[in-house]
Amino acid sequence: MSEIKTLLALFADIDPAVQAIDQLREQGVSDEQMTVISGIPLTEAMLGRPRVWSNVPRLALGGAVAGMLIGIFLAVVVPNLYPIQVGRQALIAGAPTVVVLFEMTMLGMLVSTFLGVFLDSHFPSYRPKEYIEEISDGKIAILFSIPDEKETVITSALNGIGAQSITPAERRQL
Amino acid sequence: MGNLLAETSNHKWGMVIDQDLCTGCQACVTACAMENNISFVGEVDAGYGRSMHWIRIERFWDGEFPDVKATTFQPVLCQQCGHAPCEPVCPVYASVHSQAEQTNLQVYNRCVGTRYCANNCPYQVRAFNWRDFPRPEPLSNQLHPDVTVRRRGVMEKCTFCLQRILKAEDAANAESRQLTDGEVVTACSQVCPTGAIIFGRLDDPESLVSHLVRDGRAVQLLEELGTLPSVTYLKGGSSYGRNG
Amino acid sequence: MVATAKPLEHTLLEEHEDPRQHLMLDPKPRGEMNAMVMDSMHTTSWKFWVVAILLGLVVLLCLFGAWGYLIAEGLGVAGVNRPSYWGIFLVNTVFWIGISHAGTFVSALLRVFKAEFRRPFTRAAELMTTFGLIQAGLSIFMHMGRVWLSYWLMPYPNERSLWPNFHSPLSWDFLAINTYLLASTMYLFLPLIPDLAMARDRSKGWRKVFYRLLALGFRGTEGEWTHLRTAMNIFAFAIIPVMFSVHTIVSWDFAAATRPGWSSTIFGPYFVVGALQSGIAAVAMVLVVIRATMKNMKYFLRPEHFDAMGKLMLIVSMTWSYFFFNDYMVQWYGGDKFTQMLLEFHEKGPMGWMWFAMLICNVAVPFLTLWNKKIRRTPGLLFTIGLIINIGMWFERYIIIPISLTINRMPFTWKLYKPGIEILLSIGTLSFFILIYMIASRLIPLVPVWEVQEGQMAHGLRKVGKAVVKTVSDLE
Repeated sequence: MSEIKTLLALFADIDPAVQAIDQLREQGVSDEQMTVISGIPLTEAMLGRPRVWSNVPRLALGGAVAGMLIGIFLAVVVPNLYPIQVGRQALIAGAPTVVVLFEMTMLGMLVSTFLGVFLDSHFPSYRPKEYIEEISDGKIAILFSIPDEKETVITSALNGIGAQSITPAERRQL
Repeated sequence: MGNLLAETSNHKWGMVIDQDLCTGCQACVTACAMENNISFVGEVDAGYGRSMHWIRIERFWDGEFPDVKATTFQPVLCQQCGHAPCEPVCPVYASVHSQAEQTNLQVYNRCVGTRYCANNCPYQVRAFNWRDFPRPEPLSNQLHPDVTVRRRGVMEKCTFCLQRILKAEDAANAESRQLTDGEVVTACSQVCPTGAIIFGRLDDPESLVSHLVRDGRAVQLLEELGTLPSVTYLKGGSSYGRNG
Repeated sequence: MVATAKPLEHTLLEEHEDPRQHLMLDPKPRGEMNAMVMDSMHTTSWKFWVVAILLGLVVLLCLFGAWGYLIAEGLGVAGVNRPSYWGIFLVNTVFWIGISHAGTFVSALLRVFKAEFRRPFTRAAELMTTFGLIQAGLSIFMHMGRVWLSYWLMPYPNERSLWPNFHSPLSWDFLAINTYLLASTMYLFLPLIPDLAMARDRSKGWRKVFYRLLALGFRGTEGEWTHLRTAMNIFAFAIIPVMFSVHTIVSWDFAAATRPGWSSTIFGPYFVVGALQSGIAAVAMVLVVIRATMKNMKYFLRPEHFDAMGKLMLIVSMTWSYFFFNDYMVQWYGGDKFTQMLLEFHEKGPMGWMWFAMLICNVAVPFLTLWNKKIRRTPGLLFTIGLIINIGMWFERYIIIPISLTINRMPFTWKLYKPGIEILLSIGTLSFFILIYMIASRLIPLVPVWEVQEGQMAHGLRKVGKAVVKTVSDLE
């Protein structure tokens, strides 16, 4: 068995990058063995890549439900446990309950969305990672893993497409 | 103050103020201040609307000197509303309704001083402790031991002399009897020289207050707001009492 | 379509309409834009330090010093009394929450409506939200009688078995403002992560440590962008109802009370529109200052942005006038005796000058100036108009709170409110806002470069007949 090498190819524009992705697929690199790293969000449609599964919407919904339950607890359960009558208003009044429920639902949804990003992207993560600083300057990098023997073929193909650099991907402290 | 025996009693305390008898002498204001440890704020603060009296005598007049027409004096104190606007707005439950005495309670220890209750009181009877007012010796000797001394940042108001109510109820319970009418008098009612302030139980149909609230002269302040005040005013106008 | 949009070649177009005056049609390489933003963050002149130190002194004295004195002495040193139990502290609270709505408006509402001109200044506006809410929070704490017990407004199980009263508008305030503060800070942070990564890549020393920590290890992988964009979309849609609810709930502090002039059913939308008015004017002011004082900002902030803000200011001013007139007309026409007396006190009382000034600042000035394109596009003039609008809106809240509180149903208690230590504390909170904004401008890239590049990528020119027009593609 030959070794698996991880390379980082850098492109200046979308079109060469997309061509490179197609080229890599032709060479037998599967979609899971590729990652595109860029300085602006490039949609899967633009890149011709499979959709990324995101837990964020599900977590947002779950957070909204959790928030609503907390709101119900505060507005309905608590006054029943410790009843204090004020101003001849019913203990559980409609209007104040709506306000509390709304705010707690929104709070739950938004906090869980935020934490969902952290969870899904494994933030914060300060371990060394494969990265090149030019990416935040607008370059597009493709991180891919290939068996050793294919290196020369793929490298020359990508260079033909217009790669600015193809380097072995090393994990460095960001 | 919290006494389990007192909590089981369910009286409705009320007050009647006869404006045709009130002379505006302000004895009630003085007695209330003495009874309830009310602070003296000084001339400057009092002139700026910060006096802390729980009862005030309002006087109005018509016309210019020398054709001034005076109206009756109007003592205004906490109306102990049945439907109190000050209660739902306190975020920390410092203004709550007493089920036992059917009055509005101000819980000094709980108050954080947002002053929403005072803004929402249509009668403007709530007093806020804008500062600490120290009572250096020997002035501290005038303090009533049954009444808390409030510090700055806390709201206060008339309590219908709750300390006197509870003391009388305790005594009555200890002797296994009912309270008699006139046994509990608030400080203001006790000291009024003309007997213009009458205090008693509205739930007792035989008490003097209950008779007087059914009087033909009976009116309530800002009745149209639906606050259900426990204080009723008797006001007859020119055919009774003063020159108004 | 290119990732790094190349400068457009000169094509057939109208002589006076140079497309490159639009930021979105005047792209620069990303690396160059990054360098410009980093440069503006690092270039600090001595004038900055002079202003910062002066503001710091003012904050020390007028905010912390005066507040300490207020806590020690009690609210007697302020101007509040019977019947104006609430005064300038509440005016400032409402004012700052109003300012904070601007950030959400720009970063959320404009994003949802795909108004591309928002791109270079969403972060500058969103910073105003967080910092404005801090000032609002401080002002609320200042007005409390026993502020050291303010944690009792938090719902938590305790040995006294006492929970907050959720029937009280102040408790709704507590929930709503905290929700909004958390939400807008999170919404500020999410799009900031890629720019923090950029700053991390271009920094050295303590800055690099700082940005590396905050960038959370962001690289820009497809997964990271997907999660980020999904979250930002959810936030953009969800924070809009939160924004509306916050100022509506603040307005209910007044509308739920039984005071003449306060018990008005229109306060909800009236306050929201008022918030937008002062907020958008404040954003315009901040943008003018940023453009004038920070390096390279003239590339990012252009007359077209001030033009757009000016149009918004005019539209919101018209909306505010509608709500104000609605509130005024029904009170004047069918109001009860005390409401009528209140309206007369507003116009003809000792503070009547403020009422007229409010109308001139909020209605007359915007109506008379902002229809003119040249005025809108002149930063100095827009700053002045924004300042006038903000003064007018501060007057509006002063009229609603202490002046309206003077007239109640017990005329014996009427007494005019005279501010005391609130003036010092107002100066202190304003200085604090400016100071932390200035500090933030040294630490946080103020322009979201990735969003600007994304926008430039989406914009192009095409011919329609003989005209050459701007086109925007939907890249989502």
